Amino acid sequence: MTPTYYLLLSALLFSIGAVGVLVRRNAIVVFMCVELMLNAVNLSLVTFARINGSLDGQVMAFFVMVVAAAEVVVGLAIIMSIFRTRRSASVDDSNLLKY
Amino acid sequence: MTEPVAASGIASLAWLLLALPAFGAAVLLVGGKRTDKWGHLLGCATILGAFGYGLALFFSTLGLSPEERVQNVHLFNWIDVNALTVEFGLRIDPLSLTFVLLITGVGSLIHIYSIGYMAHEEGRRKFFAYLNLFVAAMLLLVLGNGFVTLYFGWEGVGLASYLLIGWYQYKPEAASAAKKAFLMNRVGDLGLAIAIFLMFNKLGTTQYTEVFSRVSEFSSAEVLAITLLLLLGACGKSGQFPLQAWLPDAMAGPTPVSALIHAATMVTAGVYLIARSNPLYNLSEDGRLVVMIIGGVTLLIGCIIGCAYDDFKKVLAYSTVSQIGYMILAVGLGPIGYALGIMHLLTHGFFKAGLFLGAGSVMHGMNDEGNIRRMGGLYKFLPITFVTWTLGYLALIGIPPFAGYFSKDAIIAAAFTGEGWRPWVFGGVALLGAALTAFYMTRLLILVFLGQPRWKDLKSEDGRDYHPHESPLSMTVPMIILAVGSVGGGWFLSSGGRLAGWLEPSLGELKEEHGVISHGMVGILTVVLAVVGAGLAFLLFGRGKQPVERPARVSFPVRAARADLYGNALNEALFARPGTWLTRALVFLDLKGVDGLVNGTAALLGGSSGRLRRLQTGFVRSYALSMLLGSIFVLGALLVVRFS
Amino acid sequence: MNLLVAQAQQIEAPQIDYGAIAPLLVVLGAACMSVLLEALLPKHQRWAVQLVLTLGTLVGATGALIFYATSERPAQGVATLAGAIAVDSPSLFLWATLLVLAFGSVLLIADRSVEPGGAFVAQAAIRPGTIQDRAQATKTGMQTEVFPLTLFALGGMMTFVASNDLLTMFVALEVLSLPLYLMCGLARRRRLLSQEAAVKYFLLGAFASAFFLYGVALLYGYAGSVKLSAIATAAAGTDRSDTLLFAGFGLLVVGLLFKAAVGPFHSWTPDVYQGAPTPVTAFMAACTKVAAFGGILRVLTVAFENTQWEWRGVLYGVAVVSMVIGAVLGLTQTDVKRMIAYSSVAHAGFLLIGSIALTPEGTAPGVSATLFYLLAYGFTTIAAFGIVSLVRNSDGEATHLSQWAGLAKRSPIVAGVFTFLLLALAGIPLTSGFIGKFVVFSAAIEAGLAPLVVIALVASAVAAFFYLRVIVLMYFSEPAPDGPTVTVPGAFTTIAITLGAVVTLVLGLWPTFVLDWAGTGTFLS
Repeated sequence: MTPTYYLLLSALLFSIGAVGVLVRRNAIVVFMCVELMLNAVNLSLVTFARINGSLDGQVMAFFVMVVAAAEVVVGLAIIMSIFRTRRSASVDDSNLLKY
Repeated sequence: MTEPVAASGIASLAWLLLALPAFGAAVLLVGGKRTDKWGHLLGCATILGAFGYGLALFFSTLGLSPEERVQNVHLFNWIDVNALTVEFGLRIDPLSLTFVLLITGVGSLIHIYSIGYMAHEEGRRKFFAYLNLFVAAMLLLVLGNGFVTLYFGWEGVGLASYLLIGWYQYKPEAASAAKKAFLMNRVGDLGLAIAIFLMFNKLGTTQYTEVFSRVSEFSSAEVLAITLLLLLGACGKSGQFPLQAWLPDAMAGPTPVSALIHAATMVTAGVYLIARSNPLYNLSEDGRLVVMIIGGVTLLIGCIIGCAYDDFKKVLAYSTVSQIGYMILAVGLGPIGYALGIMHLLTHGFFKAGLFLGAGSVMHGMNDEGNIRRMGGLYKFLPITFVTWTLGYLALIGIPPFAGYFSKDAIIAAAFTGEGWRPWVFGGVALLGAALTAFYMTRLLILVFLGQPRWKDLKSEDGRDYHPHESPLSMTVPMIILAVGSVGGGWFLSSGGRLAGWLEPSLGELKEEHGVISHGMVGILTVVLAVVGAGLAFLLFGRGKQPVERPARVSFPVRAARADLYGNALNEALFARPGTWLTRALVFLDLKGVDGLVNGTAALLGGSSGRLRRLQTGFVRSYALSMLLGSIFVLGALLVVRFS
Repeated sequence: MNLLVAQAQQIEAPQIDYGAIAPLLVVLGAACMSVLLEALLPKHQRWAVQLVLTLGTLVGATGALIFYATSERPAQGVATLAGAIAVDSPSLFLWATLLVLAFGSVLLIADRSVEPGGAFVAQAAIRPGTIQDRAQATKTGMQTEVFPLTLFALGGMMTFVASNDLLTMFVALEVLSLPLYLMCGLARRRRLLSQEAAVKYFLLGAFASAFFLYGVALLYGYAGSVKLSAIATAAAGTDRSDTLLFAGFGLLVVGLLFKAAVGPFHSWTPDVYQGAPTPVTAFMAACTKVAAFGGILRVLTVAFENTQWEWRGVLYGVAVVSMVIGAVLGLTQTDVKRMIAYSSVAHAGFLLIGSIALTPEGTAPGVSATLFYLLAYGFTTIAAFGIVSLVRNSDGEATHLSQWAGLAKRSPIVAGVFTFLLLALAGIPLTSGFIGKFVVFSAAIEAGLAPLVVIALVASAVAAFFYLRVIVLMYFSEPAPDGPTVTVPGAFTTIAITLGAVVTLVLGLWPTFVLDWAGTGTFLS
């Protein structure tokens, strides 16, 4: 197995995540798609660490996980608050600010 | 060009010229209602102070030898970093001093006039604050020693003009005129800004001294570009074709403003700009040709449209447009014309300011009525205004020995010099313009001051009867002083090449060339044509009763066949009709073409803005899509650039 | 165990120049302390203590910065914390800018005179529209967590502009963004709009940082390191895949452009600026812009300077798009805050011009110009939003433009100051906005970007129109009978507005001092 396949898989996962952000309505799912994108990047980082023969990439993957966890905390708080207000987690319902 | 020397003695205090009016404006704006009682006096005092200092400076400079007359007053370094130094300083030379005297002199008179004219206005002190602000900015414009300083003043006068045009803010036309002036000026400013950037890009400086001593470093294409861009700036500020439409609308402002800003000083800034940049224009024959074409086209347009309007101030405004056309034509002639343009600018400053003040005086006495068809026979009621106005009128149409004869005749004669088609075209245009000027000004004179008093049975818009009366002393005295200038100014400035010699350190020697028609012949032709134009106007408007309403369009020659109208109809068919058509076509072009272009651009931008903002749908997912598309575009472009 | 200790001793601890990063440490340390205070103090004491702590921190950090900047230090700057943070002249300039702008923003945030109790919700957990919510709207308390959040965001911004490798930059990006997402949702009034702004900003921000991160990963794959200088070295002697380099660059830049609100990555800007509490909008508009462009400048000049011919054309296009979007869409806006948001998109385009003004000889005339522009723009914006917060009616701020009609008649001073600020945004001489545009455009011309400057001049002429529209509305229209009133601001807001307006004026008259300072050094590479 060449490492290239891992990179392709990572790119594929990233794209799936990006498309998911565009097509899903539920804020939680949209957010999970963003997480998918971040984790696709983690896969790339680890693969590059392997290709370059340095550990930096793996360390970075840990950093990304920590940051992603912090993002979850903030994100869920915001989504929760708007869900409590509107009784809906659909991002399409938040549509007061426009034009 | 004379190299500047560091200022010494009285000239080193030249910053006072800017500081005095600026101080007046600041006190009046900050002081608020507390200054209501004495604010106008402070405004006048600061301008008079500046005028007094300007006179002192003028006489002290006159005492110097011509080589020492260009002085540089270094104030401070405005921007000073490694690659970029913009010095803030003043250049005291004959050209700028001439303008200083014009601005502060006419400015003082108009300040005094405004005391009477604005007496019933609320917020008169604010008016004086804006006027002071204008004078300060205008002085900065002419005194600055580099293009950036000039640009500074350029924007400043634009702002002051905008504020003053919109003075009667409750009138929608005043607000929209202010907006229009601002917008059209921005177009011109754009040209000026790009020209400054070009100079800076090439030379790393925008100081006059440096730029003018290093003009040879520009390629001819660059010189052409810079001269044309400067011309664009001049067109915006000076109401030249194709940016002339804002100036007549600007008459919605108070009359003293029209006299000071939109006749005597600010609108001539374009002429100043071109005259000041004479080392650049000397290098570019083509650039000067474009300047001349613009000047020629504008002077004709101004004259012809001036024949069509019935609004007192608008006719004068188009007259201003056309007279500035003469000045632009003159400076476009190059070394044989710079000083002539400035001379016409000075005499015009006097008589046009006088004409406007006269118009203001008439309107003041006629319940602010501006329609000349509702006037007539006013000479009995406003004798001083009538006499001063007529003197200004004679000066404008160029009857000797009044001021306009000397300055305009010189320009027309200079326009007849050169080779090939040019002298005939430009000289012919200038002559034709003189005849038309006499025509529309005489029409104005007849309809306002002579003929029957058509206002007797009419009421003004607010339902009052007209009781025309002469204006107070504070208004008539400035008019009298300006009239004296319009009578004697031309002879004084031109005799013995007085002005041209004085301006030599700034503009170079005034060259004289022999034209295709001799100077004396041009003088005779000008006067004859002016008399013919005036006589024609007398024939058309001087006899019979003029209708109060604008005549409805007469459609077919059938009516003309009625025998007793035969003479009139012939007149009309031969002269008036084609003239009317031409005039109408030009008014149409002016309204639809130029205005249409401006409004059309605005509508296009507004329309596309209105449509594009619908793209901001408010849905997060569509925002994410736009970001994704943007990213794909950026990535794709990068990779295409790299691998193609 | 002994083996582990022995191994641990072999690892060399990195040298840390505490003097250089003292401002950063002060801000982040105070942020942590502020969180503790929030947990320990009784409710009624929090506002005063937090305010004193926050302002004290800003003053202290500025003091530490001045002390370091005036002391003996290497002219080209130092890289400390194992090369993660570069403290060079632009860093110091940006830090100082951020600290002073944050000071102004904190004053706006802390103000309780304009809106009783402040612009922030008393308890974010209360559902909007309920009885409790109506009660909280008139209560005097506020969610004092804004203060630690502000400090954290500021710490993130300061780290961001000084980060010398992409990983630090990513972490800093998140540290600055996450508090901002929360702060957007904390408005006391119009909470639905506020929460919606928070959701939009958060989702799009997370989306953009995923792009940024993917760019980091690809560049790591390309260069084998995320240090900016290592990427520059790798790009100079090249036998590696350029696809990785440019794909990585593109994704990285997209993430940065999003933060900087450059079109077409601006779509969040108007909504978030409108929905967020006005003091937070001021903070975002001024400080985030400074931080994002600080980062863009550093990345472009340090890591990608020698590949500029490949990317310059692309960013050229982006700058044009941004200016056009900002100028054209701003024309028809009816909400003051949205209008300033579009104006900020146009300004982002101008700033991007300065950022890409690099010369083939390797000098970057645009850096000092852009730094100056950022400083000038930041102060003007804070003051402008300060004014926006003053014009109110019975249900909060009156931001619809029609409500501003005839404002000059009611409140000439406020209208006058706002006019001055709008003229500064339009770039009229005598204001800092003119000098900023002038130096940026001069730099761009020096770098051979003359056509772009022409487009920028046209765009700024168009944009001048919508500023003018507001001025005309304020001066030449009759005020509506039920129009808003202008609240007389308390000391805090007054100081913030005065600070912004005075700096705008002073920089328009005597910019030399700041220009000199912005031009003292280049980025450490």
